[in-house]
Amino acid sequence: MLKIDNLKVSLEEEDKQIIKGLSLSINPGEVHAIMGPNGSGKSTLSSVLAGKDGYTVNHGNVKFDGSDLLDAEVEERAALGIFLAFQYPIEIPGVGNMNFLRTALNSQRKTRGQEELNAADFLKLVRSIAKDLEISDEMMKRPVNVGASGGEKKRNEILQMCLLEPRFVILDETDSGLDVDAMKLVSKGVNNFLSSSRSFLVITHYQRLLNYIIPDYVHIMVDGRIVKTGDKKLALHVEETGYKDFLQLGKEKH
Amino acid sequence: MNHVNTSDWYNSLRQKLESDSSSIEKVSRRSEYWRKSNLDIVSDLVHNTSQIDLSNLKGTCLFEPDLTVLGDIIELASEESDLVSSIMDVIADEESFAKNFFGRLEEKSQKLIPRPLARDNSLSPKVGYALSLSDSFKKPLIIHNKTKTSASNCFQRNLIVIKDDVEATIIETGSNLSVCNSVTEIYLGENAKLNFLDLTGENNIFPKIAHKFCDIAENATFNHFGLRLNTKATRTEIELHLNGHGINTSIANVSLINKRDHFSDENVLVNHNSYECKSRQVFKSVLENDCTSIVRGKIYVAPEAQKTDGYQSSRSLLLSEKSKFLCKPELEIYADDVICSHGSTSSSLDKESLFYLLSRGVLKDKAKEMLITAFISEALDEVEDEGIRSALGHYIGNWTSCFFHE
Ligand SMILES: Nc1ncnc2c1ncn2[C@@H]1O[C@H](COP(=O)(O)OP(=O)(O)OP(=O)(O)O)[C@@H](O)[C@H]1O
Ligand SMILES: [Mg+2]
Repeated sequence: MLKIDNLKVSLEEEDKQIIKGLSLSINPGEVHAIMGPNGSGKSTLSSVLAGKDGYTVNHGNVKFDGSDLLDAEVEERAALGIFLAFQYPIEIPGVGNMNFLRTALNSQRKTRGQEELNAADFLKLVRSIAKDLEISDEMMKRPVNVGASGGEKKRNEILQMCLLEPRFVILDETDSGLDVDAMKLVSKGVNNFLSSSRSFLVITHYQRLLNYIIPDYVHIMVDGRIVKTGDKKLALHVEETGYKDFLQLGKEKH
Repeated sequence: MNHVNTSDWYNSLRQKLESDSSSIEKVSRRSEYWRKSNLDIVSDLVHNTSQIDLSNLKGTCLFEPDLTVLGDIIELASEESDLVSSIMDVIADEESFAKNFFGRLEEKSQKLIPRPLARDNSLSPKVGYALSLSDSFKKPLIIHNKTKTSASNCFQRNLIVIKDDVEATIIETGSNLSVCNSVTEIYLGENAKLNFLDLTGENNIFPKIAHKFCDIAENATFNHFGLRLNTKATRTEIELHLNGHGINTSIANVSLINKRDHFSDENVLVNHNSYECKSRQVFKSVLENDCTSIVRGKIYVAPEAQKTDGYQSSRSLLLSEKSKFLCKPELEIYADDVICSHGSTSSSLDKESLFYLLSRGVLKDKAKEMLITAFISEALDEVEDEGIRSALGHYIGNWTSCFFHE
């Protein structure tokens, strides 16, 4: 489904390389987790996959369903089924949540040549998802994320995911800021959403999340590269000993 | 100029105003008040309109008109005909209610700021309406401007008198198809309320200056909303006199301008002359290309105007590096127990917000439109009536999606 091949990315503004030769292959139905120290480039990788400005790809490529992902516009990637749950979801004052969600859903459907959802069907759909995630009506009526707590914003991201039904999902530290109950809700949402045709890239600092969302692979990312790949036991190892064993691996690869 | 059929009171007023007018400083680049403006508004050049498709210049037509200002004449829809009269009839009538009102506010305004064009208007009005309301008006009164190209240098003169406890909403639509100079004098009685929506000027290529002078009595409310959609050279002058306590006023304006070398110019002076009054000014300008928006908003607080609450916010969204937002907020305060605030910002479209919307699949033009709509919402929220507000919101949204795309 997604194939990243020796990707090197630097910042557009300054000559600083962040992703330094990263390869990763994700098949349909797989859950991959990425762990790694602060500043190792996890969010940068997510941003590049989602199509954010400000980065220059110096080398390598990314294929999604066999075609070049990096050539596609941001909104085209969304319509292809790529979804990034942001580490820091922003607030957009003045843009109503419901209006935003409906516009997003219908834009994607239109781009894909599907029929748009009418107001009533949309409302029914969004309400049932909000209910499962315990997001209040009042929250839904507000402008996008305005006045929402950290955890509420993360839940909103998952609501968007459930509504837009992407095929490839990146969760960038969606667990950070969630209380135990919310974590269970969100994990349940994600698990219900798993299918043989969907794939996940789960970025997290905590092994705890991976008890709920069981990864097929765990990758350790250090200094812009994946330095070690294993199964969920690798996450337990990190939890116990930190990244010290892997930092050296990062340097050796230089 | 030949004045057919004018009353004695108008003639003597005119004589006085004319002899005083030499003391009014002329419009010039040297004057700070006019320096940055597009001085086309004083020109009386007749544009060659043969190249222009006038069918596109109807202006905003959101509602069915009750009254149409058509070149040098006005046309009334029958129902309203006993309420509204032609200004030309009014100044010909010796017994008209207007004799206690006409010209008073224009004259008063000259004491604070020289407005030679308003004086020219007083001396030779050509068309306009006079309205004296002693009963509340349930539905909005829609006045449509349809000035003809032939009516060069059109002086439109209006007079609105709202009696105590009376409420009304007036919506002005349409556009001027010639150079236009308008003066509207407004008198609000105690506890009266007027919502005035000025939706003129959409795609207006002809220079226009519109003055509104307003005398407000205690506990009255005056809300003014202005919409400028690609005006070429439009200047608005609004001056309010808050003469009694407990008055509430709101002046809001939305300017959306993206055609080359287009211009909007909003000038507001709010005089707090009495205590416990509240005034708000909210300006939002969205500019692309080399367009300019000028906002000059002044709050004056007299020594006796204690507990004044004055708010002014002027913000612009610059979609091009060439567009200009020239903003001059002014406070002149002589009372000590007041709250007055003003803020002004210019920014470009927020990249993070745009990315967020796009990353959810919203198409680029739509995403821009949503952010522009969000940006102007604070000004639109000043429109009290929900029906009008939402009609306006839709209209502006459509307009935005047609004009601000790549
Ligand atoms: N736009 C930018 N401008 C400047 N520096 C940037 C920018 N984007 C990323 N960086 C730098 O790139 C490095 C990687 O950042 P990134 O956010 O990808 O790390 P991360 O692995 O997600 O970290 P964390 O675990 O703290 O979320 C950091 O040193 C960061 O400061
Ligand atoms: Mg990060």
